[in-house]
Amino acid sequence: MEQENEEATRKRSDDQQIRSKRKAMAHRRTSGSKLLMTVLYMVASCSAVPISDLLDRASQGSDKLHSLSTTLTQVLDSHFPPIGRVITPRPSTCHTSSLHTPNDKAQALQVSMGPAAQAISALPYRGGNDIGQDKISKLINFHFLMSCFRRDSHKIDSFLKVLRCRAAKMQPEMC
Amino acid sequence: MLWFSSLTGQSTLVGAGGGVTAAKVRRGETENSCHNCCRQPRLCGAMMRKGVEAVLLLSLLFFTSHAKATRYSPPGKPALTRCRSPEKETFTCWWEPGSDGGLPTTYALYYRKENSETVYECPDYHTAGENSCFFNKNDTSIWVNYNITVVATNALGSTFSDPVDIDVVYIVKPNPPEKVTVSVMEDKGWPFLRVSWEPPHKADTRSGWITLIYELRVKLEGEDEWEMHLAGQQKMFNIFSLRSGGTYHVQVRCKPDHGFWSEWSSTSYIKVPDYFHREKSVWILITVFSAFIFLILTWLLHMNSHSLKHCILPPVPGPKIKGFDKQLLKNGKSEDVFSALVVSDFPPTTSSNYEDLLVEYLEVYIPEEQELTLEESKDLHDSCLKSEGSTSDNDSGRGSCDSHTLLMDKREAKEGERQTDQEESQTEAQRQQKDWDEEELTYTHEDMVSPDMSSGRVKTWPSVFSPLPQYTLSPLVQRSSLEMAKQHCLSDSLFPPSSTSSYLIQPGNSTKEALGPSHWDFSLSNKQPQLLHPESQAHSNINISSIGHKQTPVSLLTPALGRTEYVEVQRVNEEDMVLLQPIVCGEGCPQMRQAEDYSKVRGVDSDNMLLLQREVAKEEVDMCPYDDQEADGSTEGCYTSSDINTNQKPPACSYTATPVQDNRTLPASGYVDTATMFTLPTY
Repeated sequence: MEQENEEATRKRSDDQQIRSKRKAMAHRRTSGSKLLMTVLYMVASCSAVPISDLLDRASQGSDKLHSLSTTLTQVLDSHFPPIGRVITPRPSTCHTSSLHTPNDKAQALQVSMGPAAQAISALPYRGGNDIGQDKISKLINFHFLMSCFRRDSHKIDSFLKVLRCRAAKMQPEMC
Repeated sequence: MLWFSSLTGQSTLVGAGGGVTAAKVRRGETENSCHNCCRQPRLCGAMMRKGVEAVLLLSLLFFTSHAKATRYSPPGKPALTRCRSPEKETFTCWWEPGSDGGLPTTYALYYRKENSETVYECPDYHTAGENSCFFNKNDTSIWVNYNITVVATNALGSTFSDPVDIDVVYIVKPNPPEKVTVSVMEDKGWPFLRVSWEPPHKADTRSGWITLIYELRVKLEGEDEWEMHLAGQQKMFNIFSLRSGGTYHVQVRCKPDHGFWSEWSSTSYIKVPDYFHREKSVWILITVFSAFIFLILTWLLHMNSHSLKHCILPPVPGPKIKGFDKQLLKNGKSEDVFSALVVSDFPPTTSSNYEDLLVEYLEVYIPEEQELTLEESKDLHDSCLKSEGSTSDNDSGRGSCDSHTLLMDKREAKEGERQTDQEESQTEAQRQQKDWDEEELTYTHEDMVSPDMSSGRVKTWPSVFSPLPQYTLSPLVQRSSLEMAKQHCLSDSLFPPSSTSSYLIQPGNSTKEALGPSHWDFSLSNKQPQLLHPESQAHSNINISSIGHKQTPVSLLTPALGRTEYVEVQRVNEEDMVLLQPIVCGEGCPQMRQAEDYSKVRGVDSDNMLLLQREVAKEEVDMCPYDDQEADGSTEGCYTSSDINTNQKPPACSYTATPVQDNRTLPASGYVDTATMFTLPTY
């Protein structure tokens, strides 16, 4: 009787060990495969985004940006004293005016990934530190800065939309 | 800016008084010099000074020469109204001229670009119409600020407008969309409008230079409100929820991403064809179905209208009075109506019914040995047999002779006699009782009475006969000595449960021998105690046992049975017993006297009166005066039982004093026709 019981218990323990081993192996397999799968998915997803979608999203962002800048400029204009207009510096004195940007359509369409765009994007849009000390000068300088920004954002937006249209040859409704 | 301001300053100086030519010259000079001196600012200033002096001289000269002429003034200040670019490649500016000052005025537009000081004049004044300046592609630079000024010039001077700064990219307003097409299309049976258009041909959307978003508006013909739809960048749009058969107006416009809305395109008209609404078919089905059901219901109603009418409006029951004639009533003759109500057989006045009603009969059995002794009593005074066997009520006619007091008197007199007879009668009664019991129950009275008054009968039976030995069965001698009671009423008081004196008189063939020439005489009078005879007792012992051997009394019902016996009611004793006596019929009793026939017992009323009914062939009369020729003191009126019981109907006890063929006139007393079987009804 006792011997039988011992044998039974031994058998049971053996079974349990085997089971646990199998489980561990299965876990390893699954983890390895999981890792591989995740890597593959990441690779696939990166290239899965079409350029047209990217450009579309970029142009949407730039569009919003320009709209915001336009709104701000108009608000500031309403608050601006008429005399300040005379004093307002010209837009040509924008710090970004030195960048050669296309001035007409032909030029604009010819540019693809020109250095101008890169330069604009890289440039921090601060316009220097000299806004001024008094309120009027501050306001005038800020207003000027906003006008510069408005133009530049429009340039970016137009450029992106041209690119978007170029990239979406399969989707004519984009243009 | 500064250059412009100097120009304007000079021109105002000149324009205050100067002539046109001077101004013009000045302008031209300044312009020409401007071209030059724009490049060389120093020379410009010197030349300007010179010009100013010349102009002043000339203007003074001119002014003085035309001092008295009409007021002329230099032109008013023009104003730039707007500048627009349709495709971001060209643009046009419009201005509003001021007053011309009475002199022909010319306008000029000057602009200056952002980075240079060069003033340019408008290259094209005509393309865009009056007071406009059109800038073509060559002259248009984008993302460049333009400073534009308009100058109005007349002979007296020129006027500059306020400068305007514009950037082409901000003033884009495209042309309206072109080739707007609207068509009706169908989607699962439901129509919709499909609107499609094209961008304005000038706008370069293909390269993405301009990004346009569209908007369209729709309205039904005749309405005022437009329905706006933003279409985005698509060039096609669907409109649903249309009204069938309606005409729609459609317009489209566009806007660049950062610009102004275009004008609305020209209206496109479209008519939506009539289409069958799917929901209407369901309603049509429902209406048809309900109409069908309605028809069925009306048909059912029509079929059952009669029963429904009965249910809702039950018929009024008509009168159910027998003999009631509505027509008579309508005619208005009430007498006829009421007479019609009188049915011939109501109230029952004839005695014919009584025969039907009366099932009773009196059966009196007389032993044969008594036969001889029986004699007819001629002294039977009248006795008014009230044989009103009134079945209808208890108040049947009672014998007028039956006054309670009278009975009491008789009773008292008899008491002494009775006792002696009681013993005999009791034994006899017992025997009789047995016989009674053995009889068949055709005697309904017995049936009815026997349970109730078994002892009573026992009592009464002998009592009935007890006086007989006293009086009755004696021959006529006795009779003559009898004082006939004035009332020979057979009252039904004899037959109450208390003291019954039921007896049956049954003449029949079977009993013939028993009765034989049974002329027996029942005397009701108790005033002759001396008439008691022993043999009367024997007489009294009527062998009732022989009754037991009788035949079925059914046969006895027939009145016409052999010989007819006649019994006469002598009196009613104090014990409410009817004492009968047979009547001797010599040559044959008058069967049916025409006048009266008291052969029938009507019944027993509540006062224990045997009511005998008198048959009268003729109509009955209430009072029954009788002709008492024999009775001595029995000139008694035939009192109807109504004497005792006034509620009684007149008994049929009237008789007409018809001459009787018989010698002996039967008194107007009732007699009992033994041939007639009758049962005494009980109440």
